[in-house]
Amino acid sequence: MSFVSPLALLGLLFVPAVVAMYLLKLRRNDAVVPSTLLWQRLVADVEANAPWQRLRRSLLLLLQLLLVLLLAALAARPFLERPAGLAGDLVLVIDTSASMAATDVAPDRLTAAKQLAVDALRDLPAGGKVSVVAAGRTARVVVNATSDLGRVRAAVENLAVSPASGDLGDALNLADALAARSRDAEILVATDGALATPPTSRLDHPVTVLQVGRDRKNQAIVALAVRPGSSGVTRSVFVSVANLDIEPAKRRLQVYGDGVLLEARDLTLDPQTRSEAIIDDVPVGVRVIEVRLDREEPRAATADVLALDDRAWAIVPPDRLRRILLVSDGDPYLETALTFLPNTELYGVAPQDYGVATRPELFDLIIFEGTVPEELPPTAVLAIAPTTTSSLGEVVGTLKDPGIGSLDPDEPILRYVDLSTTHIGSAVKLALPAWARAVVPGPGGAPLLYIGERDGRKAAVLAFEPRQSDLPLQVAFPILVSNLAGELMGGSAAPIGAVAPGDPVPLLLPAGALRLQVTRPDGTITELAPGTAGGAGISFSQTDQLGVYTVVPVYPEATTPPAPAGTPSADPSGSPGTSPSPAAPGGDSPTPVPTPAPADPEAPNRFAVDLFDPSESNIAPGSAAAIEALGIGPGGAASPAPSGSGAPASAASTGSPSASSGDAGSTTPDRPAARDELWIPIVLLVLAVLLAEWMVYQRDAVTRLWRGLRTRLGQGEVAPAGGRGPGRGRGV
Amino acid sequence: MDGLPGSPLPPAEAPISEADARGRARPAFLPSDVDATVFDEGFLRQLERLQVLMRAPVRGGLKGGRRSVKRGQSVEFADFRDYTLGDDLRQLDWNVLARLEKLFIKLYVEEEDVTIHFFLDASASMASGHPSKLLFAKRAAGALGYIGLASEDRVAITSLGGRAGRRQLALRGSGRVFRLLSALSGIAAADGPTDLMAAARHAGAQLTGRGVIVLLSDLLDPNADRVIRELAATGSELIVLHLLSPQDLDPVLEGDLRLVDVETGEGVDVTVDLATLDGYRARLEAWRQGFADLAARRRATYVPLSTDVPLTELMFAELRRRQVVG
Repeated sequence: MSFVSPLALLGLLFVPAVVAMYLLKLRRNDAVVPSTLLWQRLVADVEANAPWQRLRRSLLLLLQLLLVLLLAALAARPFLERPAGLAGDLVLVIDTSASMAATDVAPDRLTAAKQLAVDALRDLPAGGKVSVVAAGRTARVVVNATSDLGRVRAAVENLAVSPASGDLGDALNLADALAARSRDAEILVATDGALATPPTSRLDHPVTVLQVGRDRKNQAIVALAVRPGSSGVTRSVFVSVANLDIEPAKRRLQVYGDGVLLEARDLTLDPQTRSEAIIDDVPVGVRVIEVRLDREEPRAATADVLALDDRAWAIVPPDRLRRILLVSDGDPYLETALTFLPNTELYGVAPQDYGVATRPELFDLIIFEGTVPEELPPTAVLAIAPTTTSSLGEVVGTLKDPGIGSLDPDEPILRYVDLSTTHIGSAVKLALPAWARAVVPGPGGAPLLYIGERDGRKAAVLAFEPRQSDLPLQVAFPILVSNLAGELMGGSAAPIGAVAPGDPVPLLLPAGALRLQVTRPDGTITELAPGTAGGAGISFSQTDQLGVYTVVPVYPEATTPPAPAGTPSADPSGSPGTSPSPAAPGGDSPTPVPTPAPADPEAPNRFAVDLFDPSESNIAPGSAAAIEALGIGPGGAASPAPSGSGAPASAASTGSPSASSGDAGSTTPDRPAARDELWIPIVLLVLAVLLAEWMVYQRDAVTRLWRGLRTRLGQGEVAPAGGRGPGRGRGV
Repeated sequence: MDGLPGSPLPPAEAPISEADARGRARPAFLPSDVDATVFDEGFLRQLERLQVLMRAPVRGGLKGGRRSVKRGQSVEFADFRDYTLGDDLRQLDWNVLARLEKLFIKLYVEEEDVTIHFFLDASASMASGHPSKLLFAKRAAGALGYIGLASEDRVAITSLGGRAGRRQLALRGSGRVFRLLSALSGIAAADGPTDLMAAARHAGAQLTGRGVIVLLSDLLDPNADRVIRELAATGSELIVLHLLSPQDLDPVLEGDLRLVDVETGEGVDVTVDLATLDGYRARLEAWRQGFADLAARRRATYVPLSTDVPLTELMFAELRRRQVVG
């Protein structure tokens, strides 16, 4: 046994102090009594059986001396040394991926892994430093090289499962980089080994795996989509359920629409396969679909140890009508193509009638053909063959018979669009603005079609009028218009498809709104304001919870939302309506009176965050040896790597501390021993001695209490010796 | 001294006298030098019916109310004896002469007085306790003395202090009761040590004839048993009223103390805890039992008393039970 601070043993000097005080204390208080006659005899009696009595008197002294000894020992912090099992610099990698939430080990894998990790810290040599890396979706350093084990424990305790696919390889590389700072370093990985992507990069330090988990019983919802049904009116829910177990499983699939059970279906899942289920006829108006994978019978034993992937959410895409305003002198081709767009209403107005009274903010897309107003409306804008330079682009001239440059095959706007046979008669020559990308490049860098985001609003410019080309006569034209309109109007303010946990979500701030309120699945509310004034795009990145997120725009209190649901029918109908519709080739498509907006601008947007990762749902514990083989063997010896390149690489990397490389080959590197401090038993002893001292000091009170109890209970006879009153002790 | 250290007791006499003085009107017949709080009229009338009992008739002096060993003049027949020349013919039993023609003189029981000596221990230790042992002793002596005077006995008060016994007075007749009480009021505790043995011897030497000795003492003296033995040997009847205060019986002491004798100033180092107190009580009991045994052997009467016994209870219950008075 040694002491951390042996100087504290100077506290033993208090022993003579206590003795001295005991001697000094013998100065007794004087008490005058009528006679010492009886007391003298008593004292003589007491001294007759002196040894025991003297011991009893000095019991307090002995206890106090013992207390001083114990306290001095406590202050000196004695410890026992034993060989340290770990390196002096430890990097603890704790897997917090979704599979760590599996409950096959009580209470769950992450808790068990934390316990293993904290237990392993006992083997840390004295003064050893610990870093903690949490391997969730990304690797994150929680604690960096501290010797404060309390902090490490607290940090490890605070780790929680991130419901996302983990990337252990990233974390291992980070740990390796952390470990490289020290000569004697080691990486400790607490994981279940169920890795979506097994790490492959070699590490320059020994790796030890603390493995948790033993079961692989898991069924997961790996895909969920809501699509229009074949009738085009109703929606169908597509669910894909995977059984990742090696035994068949029976599960019950429950589909909820806005919290109401729509359908339940029993599935028999073959091992290691995916089963699809389609639930048709989702009622109209349902906005959120939730799918749960439940036990077939409420009493049935669960065959699923990971609950995280048994629920999934999907947002039913809203089918609200979009309004498109065509500011044109009349272009039958364009109007016809726009009329075919689903869920849209087309309005028309002559360029000279366009103004503030038109209420451009009520439209989702405004198409200017020819003239472009000086002040652009706060919506998406498509300019066709602008005649003047505007903020949408600089008109530098005209092009005669321009050829079409090479097209990007991945350009989404040109999907299914074949422009190979298109000829253009004349076009406006434009300079490509910085905010835009060229979709259809033209000759000499002058784009024929470009699109981009200007002041947070999408804008596109088509350099030629469709009439000036043979494009309207081709199949490509309606597709291009559809793609362009879809891109410009956007699908929704929020993505319809599922978002992977942790992925940022781009959100659109509606016109006039100050900021967005995002309600997360657990009810917490995050307020998002655009980074720049007037910016409309906001990226929301706190998508670390599975479930449905609700986005509500917040408007300034004074101004009401620009388009209350009722007003568009009354007021803005004037502008497209009063101004005679410039061109009405379809006759009915640009209706003079727009129907009330079917979608309230205040209505919340929603998006769902789902795991949907079969590899993460596969919770079968992986091979610890495979991870350990990535590192070099313990003590610096190269692991028996199959490839010949691994050994020299690790040898070269460990070669930097050249002095120690010699004995690093042996299994006991030069590291301090682990220390077990003995303060807990000493503190317990101190408490026991204090209690004993108190009881000895208060023994009279204790005895009195005991006697009183005995009298009260009437047990036995209590004989306080000696008569007190005159009535007692009389001989007669 | 008043009370013991550590016991928050007020001075021994003050509260009682004050409380009694408040609660009771001072009898008009009492002289000013008599402690009015000790006796009231009703109590005195009760006392008049009592008498200090003696185990055997004694030889007294003056004619009194007590049966004497002598034959004398009274109404109570005792014996006959032969007539001798010179006898008083008035005592001749004429009825016997008429029947038997023999001369017999009727003898009657002579009633005489007896001297009751009160030996009041006035040592410093008697001043302690609550109520004070000395005060209690004065009251008891006053009460018993009143009984004696009421039953036509002589009453003598002797205080034992230092090494001497001082006879305060000796008087007779119930009319002198106030002198008795004022004499008792004047007795004060002695300063310094008291040798009870020497004082008792000194007082015993002043005794004339046989009577009753009432020793009122706390007997806190190493030679207390010899005092009892010697007083019992004087031929008088000895009644020992052993007075101990409640503080003597059950000390309120705790901790490491140096106990200082109020008389000698000697100190004893004692660590007082429950065990010590238990030992003290056991020792006290054995000590009192030793006096009781000694008194029984010497045909003396030993009455252990605590000074917190009310005086009326003492006179009418405690002492009657002990057959000291009747």
